[in-house]
Amino acid sequence: MSGSIEVRGLSRVFHTTVRRPGFVGAVRSLVNPERVTKHAVRDITFDVSPGELLALLGPNGAGKSTIIKMLTGILTPTSGEARVAGVVPYRERERNARNIGAVFGQRTQLWWDLPVRESFAILRDIYEVPKAEHAARLEEFDDLLDLSSFWDTRVRHLSLGQRVRSDLAAALLHDPPVVFLDEPTIGMDVVVKEQVREFLRYQVEQRGRTVLLTTHDMTEVERLAERVVLINHGRLVLDGSLDEIRRKFGSTWQVRATLADPHTQVVPLPGIALLRHDGPRVVFGPEESAGPDAPTVHQALKAVIEHYEVTDIALDEADLEDVMRAAYVQAGDL
Amino acid sequence: MNAVRIVWRITRLNFRAQLEYRSEFLLMIAIGAIWQVSVIVFATVLLSRFTGMGGWDSSEVLLIPATRMLAHGLFVLFLGRLHGAGRQIQEGMIDTYLVRPMPVHRQLQLRVFPTNAIGDLTVAAGLMAGALSRSDLDWTAGRIAYLIAALLGGLLLEAALFTAVACASLRYPAADYWGSWLEELLGTFGSYPLNVLPKAVGGFLTYGLPLAFVAYFPAAVLTGHGHDTGVPYWLAAASPLLGVLAYLGSRLLWRWSLRHYTGVNG
Repeated sequence: MSGSIEVRGLSRVFHTTVRRPGFVGAVRSLVNPERVTKHAVRDITFDVSPGELLALLGPNGAGKSTIIKMLTGILTPTSGEARVAGVVPYRERERNARNIGAVFGQRTQLWWDLPVRESFAILRDIYEVPKAEHAARLEEFDDLLDLSSFWDTRVRHLSLGQRVRSDLAAALLHDPPVVFLDEPTIGMDVVVKEQVREFLRYQVEQRGRTVLLTTHDMTEVERLAERVVLINHGRLVLDGSLDEIRRKFGSTWQVRATLADPHTQVVPLPGIALLRHDGPRVVFGPEESAGPDAPTVHQALKAVIEHYEVTDIALDEADLEDVMRAAYVQAGDL
Repeated sequence: MNAVRIVWRITRLNFRAQLEYRSEFLLMIAIGAIWQVSVIVFATVLLSRFTGMGGWDSSEVLLIPATRMLAHGLFVLFLGRLHGAGRQIQEGMIDTYLVRPMPVHRQLQLRVFPTNAIGDLTVAAGLMAGALSRSDLDWTAGRIAYLIAALLGGLLLEAALFTAVACASLRYPAADYWGSWLEELLGTFGSYPLNVLPKAVGGFLTYGLPLAFVAYFPAAVLTGHGHDTGVPYWLAAASPLLGVLAYLGSRLLWRWSLRHYTGVNG
């Protein structure tokens, strides 16, 4: 079964009423409510190929969760179309549910009063997974997520990290080709986060699952995502690689070099501007006019070493968090 | 068949989970029983102080609360998690139910085992046994079959009303309070022959909130008062069928409401 996700012109509109401020305003709103239309998602189009991990990024309220809810069959779009593993999720909810796994970081899909392993057994029955296959998959997940140390504990007694690891396993026990993860590592400690990332990497690289991930954790994005889709105010702002995001939203890398001969004639290189020249010390940065075609920090490093004889060289690169902050601010103005 | 097996398995596991919290388990049973104390007081006063009510003798009147309570106990056992569905909706549980290949309505029911139903059913069964032992009616197979149909119809009618409230809760969180009001109303007026109430109230409890179809009309048909209910006899007699139809209608409304579900928390 192909695990692709196809999204075409997807939009979702919510109609709400706005309460006017103050007591009089509240009474007026009761008698004559002011209705507003909120475009949570506007005309979004993107694809995710089978076996690809895509990070859906954007500030709070950007529309990421609404997109995930439409792709998992929870919400029906106002317009546009989506297919997940060939199924239109909001038209064939139960069929779609068999093809997907979903983890919502802030809520569990396990039975609160039951031990984790009992929840897994119920899910095995619901998804009609053969017993031998279930046992083998559980063993595999136990190796990766260390589940057996707590799987006889009731869900209500688990720590957040244990609960999310259990939820991840529960979401994948029926071997779905497509997995949706809505902030799966929110509130976790760094050790568990890394364990979860390893698990996800394994699922994508070894098992070939398609993963759509939303997160505010940029380390997670750097370690996992091949491609990102940036959403703001419900619109798609960018669909590309992390390098493209860095280039578009202030790729603030700098290459600092100490020249062997301080009298060397220093000239700008293609796409690389000379920012400072102080004796033997020179600083290069991306040329503003180069735009998205500006070289990456690694390309710049290679070019500098090839053109000049240097005794020392160092790189400064804005971390992804800074880039994303700039991206969110700029995207908000788009 | 797989669906029945899954429901049975989850129910069994949930029941076992409740058993492990012994005090909580016993407390819930007690709460289920105590909740019906007003009905027990009503029955005691009725039998000890009055010879009848609204043209019905006491033993006939007793059949009304007995039928209502037993139908209610069965509702709590099988479909009772609809009451309070708003809380599950607000907690976002509906979202997780929607990503499983199983009807959401069924998943709502399977969240926990309703231990309080044991208390409800114990009191209701006792009341029904009391009502039947005092009854002068000839309990033919036909009457027994009709009583069973009435209990199932009552269960389904109550489920239909709470399904309608749950549909409203999908969109309006405050609708959950309507569920509490509904339960209060069913408990308060469900035990009386409605002909003792003012006509407007009786009319509302027949055509507005069809409480009369849960126990009053079936009891009237069984005790020979079916022609004095203020509605055509056939309509009173069709109470169990109306319960089925109301429930089917409410499930269609539920499906429609789920398709228009707008989610919680963004």
